[in-house]
Amino acid sequence: MHIYRKPGFARLLAVLAVLALVATACGEDAEETPTTAAPAPETTAAPEATTDEEMPEEEMEEEMPMEPLRIAVVAPSASNDLAFTQSIVDAVNVIAAEHPGTDVAITDGTFIVEDAAAAIRGYAEEGYDLVIAHGSQYGGSLQEIAADYPDIAFAWGTAADTFGLPNVSAYTAASDEGGYVMGVMAAALTDSSVIGVVGPIEVGDAKLYVDGFHNGAIANGAGTVNINYIGSFSDVALASEAAQAHIASGADVLTGSAQMVVGAVGVAQGAGALWFGTQANQTALAPDLVVASQVYKWEVVLREIISDLASGQMGGEAYEIDLANGGLVIEYNDGFDLPADVRAAADNTVAGIIAGSINTMEAMMTPMEPLRIAVVAPSASNDLAFTQSIVDAVNVIVAEHPGTEVAITDGTFIVEDAAAAIRGYAEEGYDLVIAHGSQYGGSLQEIAADYPDIAFAWGTAADTFGLPNVSAYTAASDEGGYVMGVAAALMSQSGVIGVVGPIEVGDAKLYVDGFHNGAVATRGDVTVNINYIGSFSDVALASEAAQAHVASGADVLTGSAQMVVGAVGVAQANGVFWFGTQANQTALAPDLVVASQVYKWEVVLRQIIADISAGSLGGNAYEINLGNGGLVLEPNPAFDIPAAMMEQMGTVIQGIVEGTIDTGAN
Amino acid sequence: MADIFSGVVIVATLSSGIRLAVPLLLASLGEAFGQRSGVLNLGVDGIMLLGAFGGYYTTLKTQSPWVGLAVGLAIGLFLGLLSSVVSVSLLAEQGISGIGVYLFGLGMSDLLFQRLVGTPLPVPSFQKAPIPLLSDIPVVGDLIFNHSIPIYLAFLAIPVCTYIINRTRFGMNIRAVGENPEAADSQGISVTRVRYAAVTIGGVLAGAAGAVLAIGLGIFQQNLTNAQGFIAIALVYFGAWRPIGVMAGSLVYGMVSAVVLLLKTRGIIPLGASDLAAMIPAVITVLALVVAARRFRAPTALTKPFIRGG
Amino acid sequence: MTSRGPSEAGPRLRTQLLSYSVPALAVLGAFAIGAVMLAMLGANPFTGFWAMAKGAFGSGGALVETALKSTPLLLVGVGITIAFRASVINIGGEGQMVSGALASTIVALGMTDVPAAIALPLALGAGVVGGAIWGAIPGALKAYFGVNEILSTIMLNVVAVQAMNWLLRAPLIDPMEIERGTRIPQTARLPESTDLPLFVEGGRLHIGPVIAVLVAVLVYVLLWRTTSGYRLRAVGLSGDAARYAGMSVERNVVWALTLSGAMSGLAGSILVLGSEGHRMVTDGSTIGFTGSAGFNGIVTALFGGLHPLWTIPSSFLFGGLLVGAIALQRAAQVPTALVLALNGLVVLFVVSLDRYRRQVREREDRRISAIATSSTEDDESPKPLSREDDDDG
Repeated sequence: MHIYRKPGFARLLAVLAVLALVATACGEDAEETPTTAAPAPETTAAPEATTDEEMPEEEMEEEMPMEPLRIAVVAPSASNDLAFTQSIVDAVNVIAAEHPGTDVAITDGTFIVEDAAAAIRGYAEEGYDLVIAHGSQYGGSLQEIAADYPDIAFAWGTAADTFGLPNVSAYTAASDEGGYVMGVMAAALTDSSVIGVVGPIEVGDAKLYVDGFHNGAIANGAGTVNINYIGSFSDVALASEAAQAHIASGADVLTGSAQMVVGAVGVAQGAGALWFGTQANQTALAPDLVVASQVYKWEVVLREIISDLASGQMGGEAYEIDLANGGLVIEYNDGFDLPADVRAAADNTVAGIIAGSINTMEAMMTPMEPLRIAVVAPSASNDLAFTQSIVDAVNVIVAEHPGTEVAITDGTFIVEDAAAAIRGYAEEGYDLVIAHGSQYGGSLQEIAADYPDIAFAWGTAADTFGLPNVSAYTAASDEGGYVMGVAAALMSQSGVIGVVGPIEVGDAKLYVDGFHNGAVATRGDVTVNINYIGSFSDVALASEAAQAHVASGADVLTGSAQMVVGAVGVAQANGVFWFGTQANQTALAPDLVVASQVYKWEVVLRQIIADISAGSLGGNAYEINLGNGGLVLEPNPAFDIPAAMMEQMGTVIQGIVEGTIDTGAN
Repeated sequence: MADIFSGVVIVATLSSGIRLAVPLLLASLGEAFGQRSGVLNLGVDGIMLLGAFGGYYTTLKTQSPWVGLAVGLAIGLFLGLLSSVVSVSLLAEQGISGIGVYLFGLGMSDLLFQRLVGTPLPVPSFQKAPIPLLSDIPVVGDLIFNHSIPIYLAFLAIPVCTYIINRTRFGMNIRAVGENPEAADSQGISVTRVRYAAVTIGGVLAGAAGAVLAIGLGIFQQNLTNAQGFIAIALVYFGAWRPIGVMAGSLVYGMVSAVVLLLKTRGIIPLGASDLAAMIPAVITVLALVVAARRFRAPTALTKPFIRGG
Repeated sequence: MTSRGPSEAGPRLRTQLLSYSVPALAVLGAFAIGAVMLAMLGANPFTGFWAMAKGAFGSGGALVETALKSTPLLLVGVGITIAFRASVINIGGEGQMVSGALASTIVALGMTDVPAAIALPLALGAGVVGGAIWGAIPGALKAYFGVNEILSTIMLNVVAVQAMNWLLRAPLIDPMEIERGTRIPQTARLPESTDLPLFVEGGRLHIGPVIAVLVAVLVYVLLWRTTSGYRLRAVGLSGDAARYAGMSVERNVVWALTLSGAMSGLAGSILVLGSEGHRMVTDGSTIGFTGSAGFNGIVTALFGGLHPLWTIPSSFLFGGLLVGAIALQRAAQVPTALVLALNGLVVLFVVSLDRYRRQVREREDRRISAIATSSTEDDESPKPLSREDDDDG
């Protein structure tokens, strides 16, 4: 029987087939693994490090304090960046002034780590007395190089680790201290109660500053501190856009750390928002609006390192500049008329920090123990819409609270499966279980009652079922919808605007209603065609609905829920404008997305986590809205929004925040 | 409201109907092949999804929708072969194996998408290719002769498939093994080989349907097809296993969907009834068959695995 | 083709061992691939699968979850069995579950002050009726208008989901949702009198699984011990022969789909009345509510050899697979999509190797049964997917 022979072959085929698919699925990951191993070579430094124990005698010969020093600086950005690099260059110049004859060599702009390593090695080779590697990213290279040149002194900042090498000093800045002081001032100066922070990447010095600032502001009554780490130390344009986004969200006081913020300061100047600087005195960038700058005086540290050198010690210490040792100084802008009471509050804060009576980490919402957070959500984590919004927010929380453990079960559109997952996480003792789907409410009500010790959060919803361990969170998506409706009405030539919705429920309905009302209120003659296609997942139908809008004359489109990715493509293909919601949809139609209303659930999550660390497991209903920075209108940087329209949008946002404009939803 | 009868709107709506119909058409043509040979493949939607992802991903990487389409076809070919192995050689229960393929495709396409792409990015779609002269005919020209090439090809596939099934030796063999495999076998036709070919053709067309859908939309998302593969299976029955009938079914479903969308867009169907309106394409499709039902017989050996001497 | 009968007399031990070890091997094969995928995604396959096994069968709580997950699979599977036995294919389980659930919900909402002894049976009964109607429609369309039931059941799924969306969004919505402005498309909590009673207060296990098993037994009796069941199967075996014998093929087709729909409707009803939330809610799709039980029930029915009693263990195992998969996802933190793909692989592998199991059985069969039924029937309907001619009665 021939059928007996085939199956073996056929089965093999099937197995191979599946394996091939699997291999492609996971190929990317397989490739990623080697990269994680990359930092390993550091360990090779160990044997070499032992050799320099023989060196002290040579050291003794070189310790000549009388002799003019030769100091080299390698730094990532420009010497005149008004920020990180400038702070060390200024400090070295101070030293040079104090010790005439000091030979200073500077290699700036070496953002390429390998180039920096080459420069550091070069200076060491040339026998400089002190080589300053001014960038935390240089640490790995420095560890290697310093071991190779045991008779050269190195300094590394901002860092706290000397690798156990006797010829490396580390230096860092307690920038949270000045940050806290400026946060106090910012809280006192804001009218909108919204403060914006532009950061690079949430690491080191920048993170310290931002955390301190945040805590100072919150501890002194600021409503909302929106923090935007743009993911780059060098992208000035992005920093500028981030500042714009803060302004659009109602911020009237801004700050930021690292060299790319020069762009953001310009935005503050343009928008009339106040600015607090750090790292260097940034008054020159916005002479009217910079309130104060926290200035780094690295010379405080350098003096100590040099005196170590003079006494024959080449390193091994970690130094810090702070308010107490004068390494951090708050420099006020004379051109800004700072109210006396605010100044007094700032001075008191400085005194308090130095005296130790104020803890800059105090307002930090980090609970003592790292939290375990679980998320159960209905669609895919990368849906550019509802689920992605919570996943992104949880990631922000993780970045803010390192050590937070996160478990995500996405794609659980089956309500009973979601219930099982929620129950499972509760059973496993997660501290906070987030049920991110309004359809999960019925189940959650039962489950939460069974686990009174676990905190639950449910969104989008407004009901906590009267349970003390359930928080509810919702989005006033009608607010951003209204603003974008206004913009859409202004932009439309044809007077016809199309909306693609899923089903007329919940969040989608709020958004659509808000959008409709905003458009109609702005222009009486505008027609808003609304098409609820009856599905959250039918991408093809959403696409055709958008086509139908275009065929009916619409030249501006919007839509809500995850299936609209199909509709955005139609906007792009037909050259009509698109307004996005839930997540930033600019990538889907880079030329024609005007703006997106982005959900920042972290605003709510921070409050829920604060509640938990304060001992309350729930009972509150939270909302993200334009006022508290949980809803942010992110304009497409590539899209040239007319200034007049931008202004009108700003007015509308203000009106909504202040309550003078009613979006009319509900 | 009056302007819904304007030429532009009519053309746009009917073009929309054609676009909606084409993936259904391709997938159900393919399914018709398999069923004619006696194999029910419930896994169409899974094949479509993997074809859609393959087509999308390739287009994203190469920026060429044509290469993308080719990869979609190749994936369809591969999965068609896999389905044949399971249904024909391994004699699996076709109802189950199809659901297995569906679940696998649904999960795997999403997994690949999350791992290889992450955030949805748009890809270039097929260019419209107006046919010279013909596309200048008012209304009709724009409606019929102003589409992208895959859409022409899909419709061209109808007479081709009709010819293959009715006029070629291969088509005759397909029908023979679908009706009476024992008899076919006794005449020296390899039931296995014919069914392999038919099911694989079905896979290729399903892969093509997915790729055309994804590349046509220029985007991919989890469960992109939204169960269109199952609608396509239903339409095989609407079309009574005949390519022309399958086309009629796809067009009815697509066109009604497009008209409903237009009426909603124009507010003629009130907002409050939008979900009720979304039922209309399904209802009309069934009613159309009630009115025009002709009693065709299904291939006798449909769903029955063939064991020689069994 | 003939296939094995679950209760055929005296199979040899070797045959039995073979026939049961094959599916186990198939599952192992699928899991081997799953392990590779898990490893590539950076998860430990052993912890993952251990979590899966524990999550499905490893504790009392796990077994309860599995039983609850299996309940709709079993009921739909039994319904599928009825339809397929009568030679009609029902792919409308999803829609029938939804319509049953909606009917239950509507009735339950009106039972505010009615004692449980009346309210609960009425609510469950409404589910049965709701599903039955949704099954009767394609039945009638097939019998009297020649509309193929695969077409109509798939299309009615589309209709059901939109009906659900509309009902839960507009007439049945919890008034509080409008008041609060949140507009979640869900009903108010159903009266407690319609909650499915729990075995242990504070536990999760309600009487749903028991109802499902009882129904499965009942359907077995119906199909093999009553005239009506005999007629259904006769029509399924050969429409013409049945017609010849004076049976109404049309009426039996309607009856089969109606019964089949009723089973799915009951499944939907139990899903609502026994749900965690005790209310009906939509996410805009049927799957969000049914968990695809309407489709997966086909798998369990066919694995159960289209026999109501064998569908019981088949559903339980498949339910365990689904419940374990959730646990696996949670433990390994892999995308849920992987779990779905893995489920597909398990189904494919098991069904692919099922042939060996059946071959072993067939050799047995061939000796027992003399002649297979003729395949020259001129029935307009497709053949059943699988048919067991061996009668237990």
